[in-house]
This record gives sequence, structure tokens and C-alpha cells, in this order.
Amino acid sequence: MNIVETERLTKTFGTNGVAVHALRGVDLTVARGEFLALIGPSGSGKSTLMAILGCLDSPTSGAYRFDGERVDGLSGPELAGIRNRKIGFVFQQYNLLPKASVLRNVELPMLYAGVGRRERRARAVELLERVGIPEKAKQLPPALSGGQRQRVAIARALANRPVMLLADEPTGALDSKTGHEVLELFAELHRQGNTVLIVTHDLSIASMAQRRVEIQDGRILAAEAA
Amino acid sequence: MTFNGAFRERVRNAWVEMRENLGRATLQSLGVLLGVASVLGGFSISDSMRQRSKELFIRMGGLDKLNVQPSAAIKEGSPTALQMANLGLRNVDAAGGEDLDPKSVTGVSIQKQARLRVRSAYADQERDVRGIGRDFLAVDGYEVADGREFTQRDVETAAPVALLGSEAAGVFFPSGNALGQTIRIGDVPVTIVGVLKERVFYFRKSNRNMFRWRNRIIAIPTTLVTRRFEGDAYHRLDRVTFRIPKIDAMAAFSKNLSSLLKANHRQQDDFRLDDVAARIRKERSQGDVYDMIFLLSGILSLIGGGIVNVNIQMASLKERIREVGVKMAIGASGREVFKEFMTEALFLTVAGSFVGLVAGLGFSRLITYFLGIPMWIDPKSFVWAFALASVFGFVFALFPALKASRLSPMEALRYE
Repeated sequence: MNIVETERLTKTFGTNGVAVHALRGVDLTVARGEFLALIGPSGSGKSTLMAILGCLDSPTSGAYRFDGERVDGLSGPELAGIRNRKIGFVFQQYNLLPKASVLRNVELPMLYAGVGRRERRARAVELLERVGIPEKAKQLPPALSGGQRQRVAIARALANRPVMLLADEPTGALDSKTGHEVLELFAELHRQGNTVLIVTHDLSIASMAQRRVEIQDGRILAAEAA
Repeated sequence: MTFNGAFRERVRNAWVEMRENLGRATLQSLGVLLGVASVLGGFSISDSMRQRSKELFIRMGGLDKLNVQPSAAIKEGSPTALQMANLGLRNVDAAGGEDLDPKSVTGVSIQKQARLRVRSAYADQERDVRGIGRDFLAVDGYEVADGREFTQRDVETAAPVALLGSEAAGVFFPSGNALGQTIRIGDVPVTIVGVLKERVFYFRKSNRNMFRWRNRIIAIPTTLVTRRFEGDAYHRLDRVTFRIPKIDAMAAFSKNLSSLLKANHRQQDDFRLDDVAARIRKERSQGDVYDMIFLLSGILSLIGGGIVNVNIQMASLKERIREVGVKMAIGASGREVFKEFMTEALFLTVAGSFVGLVAGLGFSRLITYFLGIPMWIDPKSFVWAFALASVFGFVFALFPALKASRLSPMEALRYE
């Protein structure tokens, strides 16, 4: 079964006559358990596509079926619920709450999902072990290195057992060694059965994926198996 | 998950977030804090002063009194004997007034003053000697320490008897034991039948005894004054006082008394009425002005604080917008964000109010300590302060909360 199915997705920004067509009809499918890299230069529309795939934004037209459910045209709170329960985000800039402890950062999605306190705590601890930094639980994100911060972000993304991990340039702010370690973690998560979608402009990163999809000028250029 | 559980979770979360952003939270609650402190502190100080003066009036013999004093009715030329005959305040006015509403009038006091030479073996002074009658002692708040009050017969027969205030007793009989002794008032030897209890009231600790002049009293029957000293043919009085504890009865009584006296006095307004309670109320309405000022300064500091609050929220908006974006990305809906902001506002309002309460009461305690009066606060002040605080706390929280809740997750995440 496919996690992601889109049909002729378009996204147009701007008003007052100056329209920017970020997406011009994207058809994309991602199967469950796939490790997919979405590549393209900046301005190609890959960030826009990622936002729509991640339910952070709605398409201007076209259909988007996520995990068997039509999600284009859903309301804000409904999309928030989907992001919360089914999608795990990892960003280039980590996007952790700087003043909240690592543990609380990981707990936060579970807080919004209404998971009880004790269970939240236990799962957060378990996730930190899984990404390899259990000893950092009590620290604040600014005290961690980039790689450690990204691991916290991955733990947070996994909190509600999402059906898809969505990573936007997850190694963009890391040195190559640390970046490689983070990618290894993604690969490991993929092997454990997670669906992973990485958005990047770096072909060497993309080479680690099962499948690469290239986007340019708002259209999918080619899809090739790695 | 129940509503209560979700709410408790939200409160706990807000608490954690406040601790994480302590500086911001402190600044935000400052407005509420200052507002509550200034309203409560101000009110408490003016309440304390008011309470103290209320106590003073009660100790003076109560507020529930209507004084009648003579005033000149015939302004020009000399009055005829006939006019004179029916003018002026007399004992008959006191009796007539009491008969108007015997149920409401619980006490009548009459006075006639004279300046006379008073002599004993130890002192020889010119003194105000007060002729008193009927219920003077009770109405004016005097109590007999030693001996007895005047009897009705003393007053009827103008008996040569006297009551001394504690100061007067001390001056004329420094060795004590004034009771039963004789003093000379003018040329009349008068027996001391009673000594009055010393009266003490310090409005503020550092002040002098406000009642010290009351202890100087030398009292003899009104009839003794009018017959032997300052008398005229009609035995006129200086003052008649009616005590009327029922406030509702006062207005009607004073109206009826007014027409009765006018009828008795040849339609001349040769007297004036002084409703003590009404006068005090009027004086006290100045206190209300202070209350208004305190309330206003409270409101102003709340508004000022609210604006500061909004400003801080706006200043930390960049940080906050990113934060909101992150929260939205990991699954917080706009409504969730709104509730988070408002819960935080609730917290800050409660916390600010509480600290404000402590600060305000502390401030009031300090001021009343230096004024030397007991601190007092009207429970209504708390209602005022908290009503204001919650209104402002919420109104000013609403704007940033709405703004944050309406952000789109993408915009918020990319906000620079």
C-alpha cells in the first residue's frame, strides 16, 4: 500500500497578478517502507512539495492521498492532527525548543497527542536510547553538538510512531562525518520498517536512498531506483 | 482523556514553559502585579484611615446624633421683648423634640456653657464650665469613674453639684480624692459628686491624645448655670443633642423637628440643625476621591503593564513565532497554541495578582505602621483588584494569543 499518492498537485503563490507557480502538476507515489530522496536545486519547488507532503500546507489544486486518506482540503486542526500522529519531521535547523530540556522536546508531540505523563516520559527515554544519546535527557539543546541535536530531533519525530519520516536537508548544518552518522541513523530506521523521505540538494546523500526523485521547475523530472 | 486531565496537562505545560522562560514571564506579569499592588495598597491605606476616623467618632459618643444650636435670627436692630420671649433654644425644645418620635430618640442631651473662675485649695483658674442635663454623659461618651451622675432632682433644683473630668480633678485636687470636696465656681461653693473616667484616643501613635480637652470638663447642672451665672429669664441653652440610632428615622425626625422649632420660635430660623452622620459622610466622600485616584492609578498601571506585556510579546515574537511553528509542525493546532498562550496568561495573571497582593498589603502595612494606625482593608478591595487584574490579564493576552494561533505552520517555521 502507498503512503503518499499525489495527482497533478499544483501550488501557486502570490496575489495581485504576480503568480509564482511553485508546483506545476506533481504526481508522486511513495510506498510503505520506502526510503526516498527528493532532490532538486533550490527554487525547484522541493520545499513546497515537502510542505504539502508534510501537511504543513495545502495544494492549490490536485489530489493528495496520505495513508489512504484524502488530505487536500482538510482544515487546519485536522491537518495538525495528521502531522501530530502520522508524520515525523526532521529539519535542517533542528527546530528544537531551546529552553526546554531534551526530554521535554521529545515528549512534546506526545503531549499534543494526549499521551499520559508517565507513558510519555517512558517513551521519550526509550527514544533517546534508540538514537544513542540517553545521557543527554536533562540537558538543553544549545548545550548539544549539531549531530546530537539532530538525534534529538529524530527522536522527537519518532515519538508518536509516525507512518512517515520527513527530513528536510537533515545534514545541511552538519559536518560530513556527523552528517554521515545521521544518515546512517535514517538508514537504520528504514531497515526497521519506517518510511523515510529525505529532501536534499546533495546527490551523495541521495545516493543512500532506495529511490531518487528529481524535481525541477515544479515538475518531477525523473524517478529512478538506486 | 477527560477535559480535566487535558486541562491539568495544559496547566502543567504552561507552568513548565513559564519556568523555561522565566525572564519573559516575570516581565509579563509585572503589569498585573503593579496594578493589583497599587489598587490593594491604596485602598487599604485609605480604608485604614477611614476605619480609624470611624472609630474616633464612635468613641466620641457615636455618629447617630442630631445637634441643634442657636443662631442669630434677628440680624438688625434690637428685638422686642415679645420676640425675645419666644426665641432661643430652651429645655422645652428638647422635651418637644423627644416627644416627636419617642421610639427613635434614645437620648437627649442639653448644654449651657459659661466661662467662670474656678477655685479649690490648690488651684485658681478661669475655666469653661459646662452646664449639662438629661442624658449628656451617655450621648457624649462620658462615664463616671467615681461617685455618681446628676440626678433629675439635681437639675430641677439647680443643686450646687459638679462632675470633674480627670484632668480637672487632677488640677484642682492634685493629691487625688476630689470626690466630696468643694470647689468654688464664681462665688458659689459646689460639691463634687463624681469624677469622670479619663478619655484617651490616639488617632496615630505619634499624635497627642485627641480627647485630652474632654478630660478638662467641669460639669454642673444646666439650671445652675442659667440661674446663678450666665442666666437670662428664659434659661436658654447652647445646644440640644438628640441621639437617633435608626438611620432611616433621622431624615423625617430632623424635618419634623425643624418645623416644630420654627413654630415654637415665632417662625424664626434662630437655630440650625447639624446631622453628625450626614456631615461625616460628606467629609468621608473626600476619601472616595482618594479611592478613585487609587483605582485610577491601578487601572493605569494595569494598562501600562498590559502594553508592556504586549510589547514584550511582540519583541519576543521572532523567538515565539519559530517556537509556534515548531509546535505546529509537530502537531499543535491553532486552537492548541491559543489555549497554551491563554493558559500562560492565566498563570501570569494569578501569579502576578498574588505577588501584587502581597506587595500591596506589605506596602499598606508599611505606611500604616509609619502613620501609627492599625491596618484595615475592605474585602471589596480584593474583588476590585482581582476583577481588574483578570480583565486586563486576559484582554492583553488575547491579542498575541490570537495572532499566534492564526499563523500558518509554514510561515511560522520560516519566520526570520
